[in-house]
Amino acid sequence: MVQFLIKRFIGLIFVIIGVTFITFIMGYFAPGDPIRGLLGNHFSLQLYNELRHSYGLDVPWYQQYWNYLVNLAHFNFGYSFKQQGYPVWNILAEGVPVSAELGFWALTIQVVVGVPLGIYSALKANTWIDTTNMGVMLILFSIPSFVLAVFFQVFIVWIDQSTGAGWPVAGWGNNWQYTWTDIQYKLGPILVLSAIGMAYFARLARTSMLEVLRQDYVRTARAKGMREQVVVYRHALRNALIPLVTVIGLSFGLIITGAFFIENIFNIPGIAQISISSITDRDYPVIQATVVLLAVAVVLGNLLSDILYTVVDPRIKIQ
Amino acid sequence: MDTKDQDSQSQQYASEAMMPDNSMFPGVLELAAQDVTEIITPEGTVIEAAKTPLKKSPTPLQDSLRRLRRDKRAMVSLGFIIAFILIPIFGPFIYQHIGGPYNSPINGVVGPSLYHNPFHLESTRQDELPSAQYWLGTDSVGRDQLARLMQGMLISLTVALLVEMVDVGLGVTVGVLAGYYGGWIDQLLARFTDIMFAFPGLLFAILLTGIFGQEVDTSLANVPIIGPNGNARLALVSLALAFTAWPLMARYVRGQTLQLKEQQFVEAARTSGTNNTRIILRHIVPNLFSIVVVASTLNIAGTVIGEAGLSLLGLGVQQPGSSLGLMISDASSSLNVHPFEVLLPSIVLTIVVLAFSFLGDGLRDAFDPRSKD
Repeated sequence: MVQFLIKRFIGLIFVIIGVTFITFIMGYFAPGDPIRGLLGNHFSLQLYNELRHSYGLDVPWYQQYWNYLVNLAHFNFGYSFKQQGYPVWNILAEGVPVSAELGFWALTIQVVVGVPLGIYSALKANTWIDTTNMGVMLILFSIPSFVLAVFFQVFIVWIDQSTGAGWPVAGWGNNWQYTWTDIQYKLGPILVLSAIGMAYFARLARTSMLEVLRQDYVRTARAKGMREQVVVYRHALRNALIPLVTVIGLSFGLIITGAFFIENIFNIPGIAQISISSITDRDYPVIQATVVLLAVAVVLGNLLSDILYTVVDPRIKIQ
Repeated sequence: MDTKDQDSQSQQYASEAMMPDNSMFPGVLELAAQDVTEIITPEGTVIEAAKTPLKKSPTPLQDSLRRLRRDKRAMVSLGFIIAFILIPIFGPFIYQHIGGPYNSPINGVVGPSLYHNPFHLESTRQDELPSAQYWLGTDSVGRDQLARLMQGMLISLTVALLVEMVDVGLGVTVGVLAGYYGGWIDQLLARFTDIMFAFPGLLFAILLTGIFGQEVDTSLANVPIIGPNGNARLALVSLALAFTAWPLMARYVRGQTLQLKEQQFVEAARTSGTNNTRIILRHIVPNLFSIVVVASTLNIAGTVIGEAGLSLLGLGVQQPGSSLGLMISDASSSLNVHPFEVLLPSIVLTIVVLAFSFLGDGLRDAFDPRSKD
């Protein structure tokens, strides 16, 4: 186990180096001189050089990259170009809690709603319940999240106009607070963001459960006269849930990419929104920081699900 | 996994369909049919059925197509896809000849070739619902929605085509080489796909289009066809989407190549002295057909979403150009007053994406009946 963890950790470091290198080199070759953009048209050469030095842009690229990595290791993301002298860390600190809350609830709903739907569908396999359920899940899985968001908003507006409920179409309440207005703001984005992953979990749970129900030990359990409930919930369900653990890492990625559209459409001040607005501002340190942060989150999610997999399934031999 | 309890007949059937070796079986059967007629006729006992040559048994490809034709959902999807291809190509030419002259308060008398143009503004005709002149209404600055929709579909189609060309070309080449020869190219592919799977593809596309977008816009603005109308960034969008798509294709192809290379017909070819290049081109690549078709059909759905999504975030097609994603983002600000404008591109996008997903699923089931559980 320790050996496996060390091996995975080394692999993780390589991926992180790859990701940081891609983001760094893109920022390095980015068109335009950020310092000139900062200073405007009239400036002295001395001021230019001083500023260039303070941003660490006067050293060769490999040294810049090394400094960048060292700073990252100290959780120092540098300073924003747009808001001069303002640490990127502070900008991230505004967005991360919002995105984390959005992602946390989306992931929770995916698992808590998606898995039971899939299991139920498997138990009712090939009835109309199963067919309808899986049809809806297939459509939810295929439709892009931003289209789903638009449909949801139009629906909310229609409800609003016909009842006068005053339901907000976009925005975000206070972080981690759940008064009625907060819930009104948060419900839509969270539901829409969770939809794709939910459908994915449901489809996979169904397949996995059907697979397990065909196994010999389930037949044995039934043959020796066990109650159906015990067979399903004690013998089948536990084994059916194992492969689902690996998908958590993948759904992490789905949530993070989905967040870009959801935060954009619902106008949520999360980290993806910060990333997009810093692109229009050409604020490269902020872009790099957000991308590295999100990519590392995805990588960590994958690692976590791999570790969980070996924990929940003792049959997996670790090499 | 658990196919043991299934009867052997269906298994045999399935494994036959899995081995799409189109070249060998029909020839053998034809030969057998000829033998039968030759043997029976000289004996004098003429049997009606034997006189006519035996019915040719369908090739695995014909078998798959027959299965596909029976799949209603896939066939309806195919219909939508054909419409999705034909409408943006031929639609504008027809649409721009329909309708009489219109006496515009700003532009004077204009014909349909102008007011049915996706970039033409009629600022007195904003946010209209469908009418005889504007079949699907106008947007918030008075542009024809149907014309913009067709232009947007054309953009989706172009990007999908470009991305699939790179996806299939690069994916098949690298996948076959990695699967057939193994070694360092296989190692390199494995490491590269590891990084690509860990790094969300969309994030890469956002980074690439976001950082280099404006530069590409200004430098390509004067290039004909791709430059004007804010389409310059499409080159970047296609590049980013293709770059993130091909590792998956290469992985599929590699897996299939590993299987094929152990098959007996490849062994037979090798024994009779066929060199590696010829084995790859004549025996491996043709048998990759089904997996490549399925994977690229499913990938088109993702590509269309990707292009629309990037345009929606303001990183793809720029104003005054049109794209399904750009139409959504344009109209979403006035969503509470003019829901039709935002619903229109959303619904079209949904139909296109669902059609490609369903057709992809149908193709997979048709080529490999075992994949269905």
